[in-house]
Parts: sequence; C-alpha cells; structure tokens
Amino acid sequence: MRRNLWASVLAAIFAFFFMLPLLGAVYTSFRTDNAIASGPFVWEFDSGFTHYKNAMGAAGYDFASFFKNSILISTGTVILTTAISLPAAYSIVRLGFGGAWLLRIALSLRILPAVFFIIPFYKLFTNLAIVDSVRGLILANTFVNLTLALLIFSSTIKDLPYEIEEAAHVDGAGVFRTLRSIVFPLMGPGLAAVGVLTFIFSWSDYLFAVVLSSSNATPVTVGAANFVTSYGVRWGDISAAVTLSVLPPLIFATLAQKYLVKGLSSGAIKG
Amino acid sequence: MIRQRRDRVSALVLAAPLLIFLSTLVVWPIYLGIKTSLSRDLLSEFEITAAGLDNFRAIIAAPDFWSALRFTILFAIVVTVVEGLLGFALALIFDRKFPGKRTLFSMVLIPIMIAPSLMAVMYRLILNENIGVIPGFLQKFGWDISIFDQRYVFFTLVALDAIQYTSFAFLLVYAALQNIPQEIYESAAIDGARYRQVIWRITLPILKPALAIIAMLRLIDSFRTFDTIYILTGGGPGISTQTIGIYIYKTAFITGDFGLASAASVTLVLLLAPLMPKIIKQFRLDIK
Repeated sequence: MRRNLWASVLAAIFAFFFMLPLLGAVYTSFRTDNAIASGPFVWEFDSGFTHYKNAMGAAGYDFASFFKNSILISTGTVILTTAISLPAAYSIVRLGFGGAWLLRIALSLRILPAVFFIIPFYKLFTNLAIVDSVRGLILANTFVNLTLALLIFSSTIKDLPYEIEEAAHVDGAGVFRTLRSIVFPLMGPGLAAVGVLTFIFSWSDYLFAVVLSSSNATPVTVGAANFVTSYGVRWGDISAAVTLSVLPPLIFATLAQKYLVKGLSSGAIKG
Repeated sequence: MIRQRRDRVSALVLAAPLLIFLSTLVVWPIYLGIKTSLSRDLLSEFEITAAGLDNFRAIIAAPDFWSALRFTILFAIVVTVVEGLLGFALALIFDRKFPGKRTLFSMVLIPIMIAPSLMAVMYRLILNENIGVIPGFLQKFGWDISIFDQRYVFFTLVALDAIQYTSFAFLLVYAALQNIPQEIYESAAIDGARYRQVIWRITLPILKPALAIIAMLRLIDSFRTFDTIYILTGGGPGISTQTIGIYIYKTAFITGDFGLASAASVTLVLLLAPLMPKIIKQFRLDIK
C-alpha cells in the first residue's frame, strides 16, 4: 500500500481540479459581502447563512420557485421515462417486438443533435399551449433521456434468468402478470440506474429550458444563469443559490453511485 | 397459436406508449423542422410562406454558419483528445490499489453530477477578474492576464470543458479496464514485462474497441456544446467561440429567423448523417 501513495496524490490532484469550481462557490457563499468585495483571499466569514437566506427568498429572488420547478421536472421525467421505456424494453427483448431496429432508431436519437429539436418543440409546444409549463419540460426531458433508459432497461432484462418467466408462463400467468410480479421486482438495479441518470440529466438540462420556459416553469439552471446577468455583483447570494442548486443531484447520485457507474458504462458500451 | 397471438397483442400494448411518444415528439417534430427550413418564417412577421430552398442558399452563403461549424469541429476534436488522454491516465491510476481510493473515486465523479450550466456560473465566479480565486492566485505570481482574451479563450474553454467531462471518459475507460482479466497482467509480470510495455502491448490493444466507442460518444456530445460556452462567453469575443448550437439558437430566438435556423439544423444533420450507420454499428445491439 505504501508504495502506491503517489497514486493517491495524483488522484487527489485530479479530484482537486474537478471540485475547484464547487469549492469556490461554497467558499464564497460563506463570506461576507465586505470580504468578497475586498478580494478573493480576505478571510471574513458570515456565520448566519445570510446568503442562503437571501437566495431562498429573503432578498426577493424567485429562486425558491426555480428550485421547486427543477424538482418537479426531474421527478416527473424519471417517472414518465420509466413508464414509457420499461414496458417497451420488455416488449422488445422478451416478446420480440420490433426487433433490434427499434433500439437502433432510439440510438440514432442519441446521435441527432438536440439543437435540431428546439425550433420544432417550440412550435409544437406553442400549439399545444404547454410552453413555459412543467409538463412541457417533462416531455422535452423525457425525449432526451429515453434512449439511455431503453438501453439500460433492455440490457437489464437480457441479464434476467428467463427460466423464472417461463415457469410463470407455464403456471398460466399472462404477460402483464409476469411483468408486474416477476420481472418488475427484479429490475431494482436497472430502475436505480435509470432513476439516478435521468434525474441528473433532466436537472442539468439548459438548452430546452432556455427555449421552452420564460417564467412559470424556469428551472435552477436557467435561473442561476440569469441570476448572474441580472445581479452580477451579488456574488455571495449567487454562490449560495448555485451551491443549493447543485446539491439535490449530488446527494442523490452519491448515494446511488454504484448504479450511476453501472448505468453509464452499460448504456454506453454494452448497449 | 392463440397464446402467441395474445402475446403479440400484449407486445404492442406494452410498446404503445413508446410508439406514441416517438411519433408525436420525434417524427412529427422532424417533419416540422424540415417544413420550417423550407419556409419564410420570421418572428417579426405573422405570415409564414413557402420559400423553397432560399434558406439553404442563405445558409451556404453565411460565413457565420461555417465559422461556427469550423469552431465546433475543432473544439470537439481537441476536447475529445484531451479528455480521452486525461481520462485514460486517471483510469490507469484507479486501476491500482491505493490509500483513500474509495473517497477519491466519489470525488472524481462529482463533475458528472453537476449541470454544465451551473458549472459555468461557478466558473464565472472563480474566474471573475475582481473577486475570482484563479485570477487572484495568478496575480500573486505576477500573471495579470485576462483568460477570456481572444488569445487565450480557446485554451480556457478546453480546460473548463476538461474539468467537466474528463470524469465521463474516465468512468467509461475504467469500466472497460475492469473487464480485462487479471491473469493477463500476472503472466506479463512473470515474463518480466515493464509497466510501459504492458500498457502499450496489452492494455491498449485490448481496450481499442472500447476506446473507439468512448471517443465517438465524447465527440458526439462535444458537438452539442452549448450551455457552458453560451453562459461564459455568449459566443464571443466577436463570434470566435460560437458553436453551431449557439449559432442556431441565436438565429432562431434572438435574430428571430426560424426558417434560416431550421435550415442550419437540417444542414448540420445532413453533414452528420454519413457517420450515423458507423456509430450505430459500433454498438452491439443484439436483442438475444
């Protein structure tokens, strides 16, 4: 072990650079406005969470509602993506529906630049009167995450022992019964992987949010970016707002790290 | 026989939500996008009229479109190479046992969990000329440079992209490394192979297919770069860091020319189309 200390040091250097922006935001969020204005290395900290209180409403920003929107959009996207892609993956893998071409179509979506869709979505959503609504952004984010979810669910289903399903079949259970009471309970790891990745990616969406929301459905990503342009000098409040915005996916993904790793690598490599 | 027919009905029922979703939110929008590209469709005019290939002629003649495309390709290639190399190096480090490995592994994955646009806001904070930690640090060493200056901006954006995305490359390479059976290394060690030889002669050749896929994924994704650069530079100074995504977004929603922006999107897809079958083939999409 001792000989490998240099590996720890190298890994720590990478980790430091990867975390530097976040560390900078946390650092600034706890400094007083005075200290921030007098230069980056003036040590004077604020013990009352003033910037956090300001960000969450005390200073009249809408940040709390951006936060609520992000939670609604991400949770809604996880649910809708799962509801669409899990049954479809089962149908493709076990019932031979559509064969590999359906997966191939889904995969070409991964390759098509998302920016192609901003104008059609804007037009379509205007016609359906779902521009600037949480529902609209759930649909757009489901579009973004569908491919990865399909790939992860189909590889998870492929890895399940088929014998159990056959036994259920012989015992007279129909397709839906088998899916509900045999397959679904075994899908835990796949569900966790899709859940955590879809949550992160829909929380991270900026392109669709900037096009499809103006005020009612604005999530934290767009909110925080606008924050900088409108309140460019209030760096303490901005830092607190960004730190808060980063936390939900960070906590969720760290708890579900195993599934994040599995999902990303299986969705990307195994297919 | 009856059983089979019932299964086919169930298969259709189970796939129905996906089919409905794909037709309303993929097929229909593709049609809308193509139709818009063939129309005179301005935010300032109520009437939308057919325009034939006018928008495409305008796009082909637009220097901004081509310079955005050139910048995007260059940026995508450079970040793919940089992040691939850094990710590979990091994966080799994590392929060994060392103190604190588990904690450091979690830390190294953090950029994956942070939204690029939020990362961009944090970059603006730490890079701010007056209050930022980085310029403050550089000034202590007498380096008083503006990192968003025309001369350094490309390098800056590559470095910032690497901070965000090296973790992705790392994770995928690391996963591929785990699939190499340990015995191969052991027999190489018995034969007295040096570390460098092992990497060049064993690890790299085995990883080659996985690395190709990883590079391709990073290339596709960096082609879509929008959030970070848009928030950091808005495409500037001038239009020097304008990606194709920023160009299309600005043409549609700031200039207000939906027709021209759609023609740019369609042209982009047509330019990428020849690559698609190759990329799809790289994935082993057998359903067995």
